[in-house]
Amino acid sequence: MSRRAASGLLLLPGVALLAFGFLYPFGVTLFAPPAAEHPDVLGKLGGMLGDAYVLEVAARTIRVAALTTVICLLLGFPVAYLISRAPRRRQGLLLALAVFPLLLSTVVRTFSWLVILGRNGLISSVLIDLKLVDGGTQLLYTEFALVAGLTQLFTPIMILTSYSSLSHIDAKLEDAARGLGAKPGRAFRSVVLPLALPGVLVGATLVFAGAVTAFTTPLLLGGTRNRTLATLLYDYANVKLDWSAASAVALIMTVLVLAASWISGRLSRVGAV
Amino acid sequence: MLTALSALALLFLLGPILLVVAIAFSSGDTVEFPPPGLSGKWFTKALAHQPFQDALITSALVAAGATALALLVGVPAALAIQRRRFRGRRAIEALFLSPAIVPELVLGFALFQQLMVTLRITALGALLIGHTVLLLPYAVRVTGASLAMADPALEEAGRGLGAGPLRTFLHITLPVMTPGIVSAAVLSFLTSFNNVPLSLLLNGPGVSTLPVEMLHYVEFSFDPVVAAVSTLLLVATVLVALVTERLVGFNKVFSK
Amino acid sequence: MTTPVVQLRAITREFSGSVAVDAIDLTVERGQFTALLGPSGCGKTTTLRMIAGFLPPSSGTILLDGEEATRLPPERRNIGMVFQSYALFPHLTVEKNVAFGLRMRGVPAAEIRTRVGEVLELVGLAHLARRKPKELSGGQQQRVALARAVAIRPSVLLLDEPLSNLDARLRVQMRQELLRVQRETGLTAILVTHDQEEALELADSMVILDRGRIVQQGPPREVFRAPATRFVAEFLGYENFLDLPGRGPITIRPEHVGVLAPGQKPPPGGEVVEGTVAAVRFRGTDVAVTATVGDRVLHAISTDDTLRAGEPVRLHLPLARAVPLAGDDGDARPATSKQQECPA
Repeated sequence: MSRRAASGLLLLPGVALLAFGFLYPFGVTLFAPPAAEHPDVLGKLGGMLGDAYVLEVAARTIRVAALTTVICLLLGFPVAYLISRAPRRRQGLLLALAVFPLLLSTVVRTFSWLVILGRNGLISSVLIDLKLVDGGTQLLYTEFALVAGLTQLFTPIMILTSYSSLSHIDAKLEDAARGLGAKPGRAFRSVVLPLALPGVLVGATLVFAGAVTAFTTPLLLGGTRNRTLATLLYDYANVKLDWSAASAVALIMTVLVLAASWISGRLSRVGAV
Repeated sequence: MLTALSALALLFLLGPILLVVAIAFSSGDTVEFPPPGLSGKWFTKALAHQPFQDALITSALVAAGATALALLVGVPAALAIQRRRFRGRRAIEALFLSPAIVPELVLGFALFQQLMVTLRITALGALLIGHTVLLLPYAVRVTGASLAMADPALEEAGRGLGAGPLRTFLHITLPVMTPGIVSAAVLSFLTSFNNVPLSLLLNGPGVSTLPVEMLHYVEFSFDPVVAAVSTLLLVATVLVALVTERLVGFNKVFSK
Repeated sequence: MTTPVVQLRAITREFSGSVAVDAIDLTVERGQFTALLGPSGCGKTTTLRMIAGFLPPSSGTILLDGEEATRLPPERRNIGMVFQSYALFPHLTVEKNVAFGLRMRGVPAAEIRTRVGEVLELVGLAHLARRKPKELSGGQQQRVALARAVAIRPSVLLLDEPLSNLDARLRVQMRQELLRVQRETGLTAILVTHDQEEALELADSMVILDRGRIVQQGPPREVFRAPATRFVAEFLGYENFLDLPGRGPITIRPEHVGVLAPGQKPPPGGEVVEGTVAAVRFRGTDVAVTATVGDRVLHAISTDDTLRAGEPVRLHLPLARAVPLAGDDGDARPATSKQQECPA
């Protein structure tokens, strides 16, 4: 058997699976859902982009995702930096602690925010005890709840990607900069930060894309008042059964995610020069 | 200052999860914190809840099946991508990783439309296919990474010592990949087991996964039952993580 | 006369248009230690990989033990290869690594045990049989790789830069170890190296390659004393190249050039030239002197540590030590042509 045939044979099952279980359904659904009454997705999309409600939801989705990305960055990067400079043995444990939540279901991780932010929740009862408010305070179903939940969900990813790029940066580089006369902050800014930037950018992209497409958290913490594109898609697909509208929302989400990764790809190339 | 910030960040990440554990042991009738007293009654109630029992079996079956399929399909692909030279290798690699880029909810909707509505595949079948597609990027990436780190001369050494291509694969390539395969399996199983968007859209009569059932439960009644299930899942996940750490090293699971 | 173990006939290998090995003929006799020597990109590793069967030649014939083997897969060639990276199987213990080739040959378990024991004894690692490769030092890993290759009693032992991953001191020690194992087992060996000292010390026959071709071969003493071309001479450490009237191009080693003290009478024979010291490098027991004589640069080794740059100097060239050089066909090629690297 020729080497080419052997390579083809190794790849064939995977390519077949992807063609049937990914490319075909994905392509057809995004551009021509056959089960829909009006399979004109692009026409529907045009109508939606003029719909104030859809635009409001899209704007909220982007706003919440952007805010989440920034907070994840501010929380995650310093933690990753500290872990990367900790003694070798401690690094594993700290990283495991920071990253362990990723192994749990989003339902489990979002549930706790119902407990913290609800009318009878932790924050509400603390406020009552401090006599700052009279009755229960509802923090759920707000954009604040969305950002809090999503930040907790995605900070581990930011830590993980930042750590993996930071751990490849020789700690002696900072020493070298110090030896050449840079103060600690300066050494960090002019040596570590530029080198870590590509990894951080990858992390930020992952967080942003994850926050745009997250579903469980907006469903439980955003409710019907603060819908995001994901819960809107679910609403069209499973409740209103307007499948061409669902396809149109799916298209918007997909384009958003691809655009984010394209921009970050450009940015990291600019940064590398 | 940096240390304080990091401690705060860890508290922010892990605190809410511990809170759920505390709620699970509550003796109260509603979700409240601090709990009025301690009891195990919510665990009893959670374990007796029939939809959870059924969903647990579905989840475990789908996760195990999809993990096995993804590895069966992904390991040969990783071998071809890492060890062979052919035209379009980069494009093929991108194709295998692409399901990780598209929104899961969109993938779920697409599979629901084409596989369940158009082709009339059962919910269980669509779940299995969908989850396998979802896991394939992990399988290819993690097993591929273990191959990329291994010396390519190992296989040549095997051939030189008299092992044919098949025996070289069985005696050398496969054992060298084993830590990667174990990591990929653990990661895949948990990813599938925990998935909501795909499982939510690909449901059918009597076919629902545990996270989806928990989600439905929370939507309609707000009592510590879900906290109890979450606590059980947490304990199971910690055990899996510890065993994996023993087998291949926890960090390897994540360094993909 | 017995059949040669390895015969290469007009072996050529091209990589996407460029020629890495260019119609090489080579014969390796039984029990011989042959070294393929040359700079990186000369085709030596490519040649070795074709002998092993990891790389098919573009054209030409390979005979192993007199049998046609050009298209034979590596597992049917009975070769013992020691890789530069050692390629020890990380999931197997030392003894399992060494036993691997015997298991693949279906040797009975009891015999495997004895032979693995013998071979580990030979390389002095019997006490580490149960260790995993990553628990061994570099030198120990190197011995395991050697033991694994020797255990199958191969027709030929192929050594691909086996010592290059060791530190300088250990590398020198391991040369003798390698030679001892080869002598005790009576195996035929082919060594690929870019280290001329290694080749000089180990080989019965030295083959020097340049840009995919053999430029000279023979016993190390002969090759060293009489390099045929300027390329070989430079590679073996000759530094002075002169074109003397009536004698043609010659070369002479720096350690044979004498530095004359002021007023010292030159030894009989040879020529004396006058010039200026350009640089002096201190080397411990002696100094390396670079001097300009007219528009030429000459190199000499001297024990006189009082020499300083800028001072006048007289050099003695013993013409009896000079080696006449043949026309170098390498020089005919454009000097700017970049040498391509041997793949892997």
